[in-house]
Order: sequence, then C-alpha cells, then structure tokens
Amino acid sequence: MSYAYLFKYIIIGDTGVGKSCLLLQFTDKRFQPVHDLTIGVEFGARMITIDGKQIKLQIWDTAGQEAFRSITRSYYRGAAGALLVYDITRRETFNHLTTWLEDARQHSNSNMVIMLIGNKSDLDSRREVKKEEGEAFAREHGLVFMETSARTAANVEEAFINTAKEIYEKIQEGVFDINNEANGIKIGQQHSPTNPSLPGAGNQAGSASSGCC
Amino acid sequence: MSNMFSITNIKNRFISVIAPDIPPLPSSHSHQLHRGNISGAPSNYQLRMAHQQKKPDKFAYARPPFLQLLTIDELRASADHNVRPIIVPRDITLLPWGTGYAECVNSGKSEWNEDQAAFARQVLSDPTHSHPDLPYTYYGIFDGHAGYGAALAASHQFHHILHEKLVDCLELLLPRDEDAANSKQDSSFPHPSHFQRRVSKDELIIGALESAFFNMDALIAQDRDRYRDAGGCTACVALFINGKLFVANAGDSRAVLSQRKSKCIEKNNATTGAITNADNGTGAQEVFAVPFSFDHTPETERLRLLTVARLKPHLMEKQYAAMEYAKRPHMKDLGQRILCRQGTMKGWTYKTLTRDDLRMPVVTGEGKRSRLLGTLGVTRGFGDHDLLAINTGTQIKPFLTPHPEVVIRDLSKIVSIPDENNEDGDYGILVMATDGLWDVSENDAVARTVFQTLDKYPTEKHRYTMVAQELVARARGKINDSGHWRLADSKAAATVDDISVIVIPVYQYYKEHVEWEKRCAQVLQERRAKVTQSATEACEDESLLVNGVTKAQVEVEHDDAEEEEEVVVEVNRQQAQATVELEEDASQKAESSGQTDPLSAHQSAEKDVKDLIEHELSAAISALDATESSEDDKKEAKESSVTTPEKTYKAQQPQQQQQHQHHRNRNRKDKR
Ligand SMILES: Nc1nc2c(ncn2[C@@H]2O[C@H](COP(=O)(O)OP(=O)(O)OP(=O)(O)O)[C@@H](O)[C@H]2O)c(=O)[nH]1
Ligand SMILES: [Mg+2]
Repeated sequence: MSYAYLFKYIIIGDTGVGKSCLLLQFTDKRFQPVHDLTIGVEFGARMITIDGKQIKLQIWDTAGQEAFRSITRSYYRGAAGALLVYDITRRETFNHLTTWLEDARQHSNSNMVIMLIGNKSDLDSRREVKKEEGEAFAREHGLVFMETSARTAANVEEAFINTAKEIYEKIQEGVFDINNEANGIKIGQQHSPTNPSLPGAGNQAGSASSGCC
Repeated sequence: MSNMFSITNIKNRFISVIAPDIPPLPSSHSHQLHRGNISGAPSNYQLRMAHQQKKPDKFAYARPPFLQLLTIDELRASADHNVRPIIVPRDITLLPWGTGYAECVNSGKSEWNEDQAAFARQVLSDPTHSHPDLPYTYYGIFDGHAGYGAALAASHQFHHILHEKLVDCLELLLPRDEDAANSKQDSSFPHPSHFQRRVSKDELIIGALESAFFNMDALIAQDRDRYRDAGGCTACVALFINGKLFVANAGDSRAVLSQRKSKCIEKNNATTGAITNADNGTGAQEVFAVPFSFDHTPETERLRLLTVARLKPHLMEKQYAAMEYAKRPHMKDLGQRILCRQGTMKGWTYKTLTRDDLRMPVVTGEGKRSRLLGTLGVTRGFGDHDLLAINTGTQIKPFLTPHPEVVIRDLSKIVSIPDENNEDGDYGILVMATDGLWDVSENDAVARTVFQTLDKYPTEKHRYTMVAQELVARARGKINDSGHWRLADSKAAATVDDISVIVIPVYQYYKEHVEWEKRCAQVLQERRAKVTQSATEACEDESLLVNGVTKAQVEVEHDDAEEEEEVVVEVNRQQAQATVELEEDASQKAESSGQTDPLSAHQSAEKDVKDLIEHELSAAISALDATESSEDDKKEAKESSVTTPEKTYKAQQPQQQQQHQHHRNRNRKDKR
C-alpha cells in the first residue's frame, strides 16, 4: 500500500511501563498480560489517515532496562515522534521522566514531537501518580499528554494518531525539512511525482533496486 | 564486506559481469587470448541486465528466522542505514544453550544486510535402531558480497547438505558396543589386499564438512541458469558433535574462542585490601583469545594463488603477472634489474624488467586492502561463479575455492573444577562473526568484552545475547555530526559494513553431551545385560559418569572409547580424493544442464587447475601419511586417557587438522 508520508516513532520509558503493550494494542489490537522483556529494539507499523492522506507509522519499541540505555540513545536519531511512557501505578517511573526527556532532547532532532503517556489507567485503584501531575509535567516541558490503557485500549489510538497530527501540522507549517530523512519523515510516491529521485520513496523500493542483488 | 569492493568497484563489477550472450572465453589450450567483448556494447549490457532482472531470486530476501522479522515493514526498519539498529532475537529460547546473536546493517553500501546466519539441531539416527541416536548442532555465518543470494542460499541449504554427508558415514559415527563394532570391522575387510587406512571419526566429520562446502558451492553454480546472480559469500561453520567442536571456515569471517583462566590462584595470595585490585586486574589479564579459524584473503593466500597462476598461466589471459616485485615496476624501469619472486619462492631474486612485468600482479595490496586480480578481497567461499576482474574481465573463480580449513576442540579433554565456577572460561565462549566485527576489533579485545559483559549480567538468561549486542555496538560505534561512524573510545573509524555475531557458550553444549552420553551408556548396558545376563561392573561405571565434568569421567570415557575411536575402513587412493571427485561431479552436472553455457569453458579450466593442485596435494598427503600415519592417532588416544591432575592447557589449543602442504607453508597473519 502506498502512503503520502512515513513517520518514524520511538517509544521510550522505564521497563515494565507498558511500551510493548501499547505498540501491540495499536498494531494488532491485542493485549499481552505477561511481561516479555524487550531486549534491543522491536518494530511495528500501521497505516493511519490524517486529513485524507495515508500516513504510515513506523514504530520503534525500545528496551526500558537501564542496561540498554546507551544503545537506545542511538535510536532517537531519525525519529519524528516519541512516546514517553510512565506507569501511573509506579511513581518511580514518573520520577525518571526528567532523565528520559534530557536523553531524548539531547539525541533527537529539535523538532521531534514528544507525547507524554501515563499508562495503565485501568488500574485506577493502584494509582500513584495523579493525572494532574502528568498534565503539569507536560505543560512545563511543552509536551502533549494523555493517559492510556494498553489493556482496555483506552486512548491508545488517540495517542499515536494525535502525535502524527502534530507532526503533520509541523510539516504544513514548514518546520520539518521533509527531504532530510534524518528527521524521521519520508515522502511516499503518491505525494511527489515531481521528485522521483528521493531515496526509498514508495513501497516497492525492494523490487526497484537492482544494485544490491 | 568492506574489503570486497569500493562502491564504484561494485558498479564496475556489474558492467563487467558476464552473461550468456557473451561468447565463451577461450578454452584452456587456446593461445589466442583475447579480452572478451565487454566494454564495446552498452546495448548488450542493457540486454544482459534485463536478462538478469527477469530471473527470480531463489530465496526471498529475509533475515535469519530466529530473529522473527516477519513483515516487510520490520525488514525495512531493521535495514535503516542512518540508525543501524542492533537486532537481537526477540525470543532467545529459539537458539539452543542461551546462545547469543546480534546483527546490524551496513551504513549504506548495499540496500540490505548481506550477512546471514543459521543454525540447526539434528539427530543422526540408525535406521536399524541398533545404535543410540547421535545428536548434533550446527551454526553457520555467511558474509555475502555483490548481492545477498549466495549467503541466503547457504543459510537455507548448507545444513541439509551437511546432514546428508553425515548420514553418509552414519554407521561409522554412531556409538556402538564392542561386540557390534567387532563384527562390523570384520565385515569391512572383504579384500585385505587393497590399500587400507585407519580413518578416525574426526576425519570422517572433517570430510563431511569439506565435501558439504564443495557441494554447496556446486549448488550455487547449478542455480545460475534459473535464478538471479547470487554473488558470493564467505562461510564459517561450527559443528558440535560427539563431544567435540569442529569449526570449518572459508573466507574472512572468523571464529575465536574467548577463554578465561580461573581466578583461584590470585585470591589465595591477595591481601584483603588488594583483592579488588587483583580482581580488576585479572579480569583483563587472565582472559585470552584462541583463533579457531584462519582468514583467507589475497594476502594470506598469496602462495596458493601464485601456485594456481604458475600452473595455469592461461587463466591470467596475459593480463596479470604471477610475480611479486619488491617495488612496483614502471615503464621507465624497463631493462633494469629488479628484485622479484615467483610462484612459491620464499626468497627474492633479480630479473631484468621486460614489458610483461608491467602487468598487474595477481595479488596486490596488503592486509585488508589486498586484492586478487585487482578485484576481490576474499579468496575462499561460495559462489562468485560469474565474477570477472575489474577492467580486464578475467574469470576469477578458478582462483577461488570453497575448501574450508577445519579446527577441532575435544571438549572431553578439558578439565574444569566445579568449585571454581569457571566453566565458561575453561570451555570458552565461541564468538563467530563476519569481518564487520573483526575489522575494528582485536581478538583479545573481543575476549575481554565477552567476559566483562558476562560479569555484568551474571544471572540473566539473555546474558550471551547481551555479549553479542555489546560486541556489535562497539564495532558499529556512533555516528557523528558529519555522518561518519566512529568508535566510542577513540576517533577511529568504526565499521561501515554489515556486522553479525554469534556467541556460543561451549560448556552448555558439553553439559548436554554428557547427559546424552549417560543415556547412551545406560542403553548400551541394558542391551549388554540382556545378552550376557550379567551386570556386575555396571554400578561402578555409573557412579563415575554422574559428575560430567570431572577428570574421572573423562578417563572412563576414553578407556571405553579407545577401541571405538578409530574405525578401520577401506580406502583406496582414489577415495582419498573424494572431494575432488565430488566437485567434478557437480561441475559435470552443471555442464550437462547447459551445453551452450559460456561458463563451461571456465569450469573445465577450473577443473584443470584443481586437478593439478590436487595432484600435488595428494602427493604431499601421501608423503605425510607415510610419516604421520595411524601411530600418531594411537599416541593421542593414549595421551587422552592418562590422568593428569593439572589442567591440560595443551589440549585447549586448537588442533590444526589440515596438513596440506600449501597450508602449512602459508603465512597466517592475523589481520588488523
Ligand atoms: N493493567 C495493565 N497492565 C499493563 C498495561 N500495559 C502493560 N501492562 C502490563 O505491564 C507489564 C509490562 O508491559 P510491557 O509492555 O512488556 O513493558 P515495557 O515497557 O515494554 O517493558 P520493557 O520492554 O522492559 O522496556 C506486562 O505485564 C503488561 O501486561 C495496561 O495498560 N494495564
Ligand atoms: Mg518492551
């Protein structure tokens, strides 16, 4: 399927906050109750529609464990959006947000859209972080904020799609240099018939290439 | 493979690739050497490329199955050249023994990661059910160049070929009780007048590996008619069977065993204050790397290549000189004397420069930059059947060989004291990786990283994966603001090539093997008990076998196995050259499948060279056989049964099994 744009996302946050579950809920509409520790990085993809345009999201789900931090840092490069996730039932995951944010700001391009996510909203009885605290943190640091549940799927679609909307608006405003792939945005073929020389344009790059095989 | 071609060279290569509409190269006896019609016709070239495009891939491009990158989206994300993500198996239980794996794509020299990796766990079972099954595990790593086809084919098919080869000699490999063995031996001597040689199980397994390498290469040759040009690949294979580790390698991927001596001694004489220091120090000091393969590059194989060139000068089509010069000769030097050496010469001699000396030498450059016919940086492996030299269009394949060198480690001879908890150090961690790792990492540095990382994650199930990931991360480095990849600890350039690393905890295999031996011993005993109805000494054996890693066990095993270890089979001189025949067989098949194929000329040329070399080799081998025959084997078997209280470090050195003359003479330099 062809797309107008491809946006690259990265999901970050402490281990166990539900990053992989959010991705799975968004791409497969399923919930995984046991914690499958992510080692390294995993990928997901899904097509969405914004403003009548097909937009493909390529999502990088990273490992939250401290041991992977230095490798994760190299994945901010070329991301147009980031979901920064904490667990509303574990305050320490909220406390670590500043560190994550520093990391993200330092290693990403300055236009990257960051969405703050308080996950596991279905576990209201065990809540340790108030919704207002999340909102305040987001306001203070210029982030978009949402509470989600990867289990009930509440707000999961919205979190991914609203981030894409922000990116799309920035493109319309001319903030992103969309010809620079390092910004995490690729233009699909349907959008730019005038610019066929773009690397990796379109979906059929594999069959069109003769150089590597 | 960074050492194969520069980007422009790759393009050149595609222009010079020969295709079926080009007239065949002159036969080996023709003196009318010409270049082949390569540069002249661009329309021809386009036709050929169109022809190539029409042929399908034999295997759809994919990453190793255990990575579970199943969708094109995942494949595409994993091949992001700007970020070069480090991919590890998401389910580490897919690989046996907690084996670690990590990979990362190149920085843009080819669209896809052209490395491949594979593993297989199999059982050799006796169709008559009179012997216990023999399990084995195989790992392979293949570094592709000029396309992903060859490496992909090898990762899909090599283990099937290997399995066939092992099944071929199944009855000689299977464990058996002595009665059965004796009757077998008798029946294998119908004609005592023939040449007879003692062939060990090790030699059978080496032979299986070697012939599997040749067959894999022949298979890729056969597929050229039907499928898209596969390019070529190196092959590094580890086979765990019968309590031993066999590493077979062709090309410049590398297997290195990382080992660590036990820390016990240091702890005894360290004061309380010094313990931390000592520990920090020993971590680095006591770790060492043992190479389990040898790189095959134009530089390391100079002698073999020059021998081929000397024996078959027509292969060079008057374009190359089978000479080495102390300095590059120039036109202005004509008529002057210059120091040079020819063929297999070790020393240097003067000759007067003639026009012929201005040709390009067969081997140019040094180290990682050495090139065969100015084109290729690796001299053994699979594929490259259609590869032509840059600028001259000379066939390169006759200079290449799929022949692997095999290194063995007998794990039953290793002693590890259970209290020291140093099994990973004593048995070693086998790191198999493509040159993407080794180009920027010394063997010893890799060994240090292995144990540092293991120390950091002492209990994690995925600790060997962490090692693999760490090794790849270090070799890949970080990208700087101007878009160059740099090592973290210095400003030196990091690898821009594909990187793949397998990290195998050898002890985990051995543990599994000891369990299997126990079960085997039980089965055999039960069988014996049934026959003789006396199980008097059974208890003793049993108790000694319980602790798998103690010396007592090793001793018992070897007393027991001494008889079995050598299997007498009947071999005549022709059979000793089985691999040659195999290869001829394959090329004959390829020829008969397409008589008009222009490559048949090349193949017969290749065959001629191989014949010549193999004749020389077989002469050398029989000379060696005369002196180092079965006496050696016996001595070794005896040695292994002697109980030594100290660790047998000698046994930890790899045992170089290839004894071919040119291998022994060859200069094995560790490349930087
Ligand atoms: N009740 C509830 N549980 C959740 C939710 N999201 C995730 N979990 C659970 O939290 C645990 C961790 O989820 P993961 O998605 O694997 O966590 P992660 O952030 O990917 O962790 P790392 O991969 O280690 O970085 C799992 O047991 C999930 O079932 C949620 O919205 N509600
Ligand atoms: Mg996860």
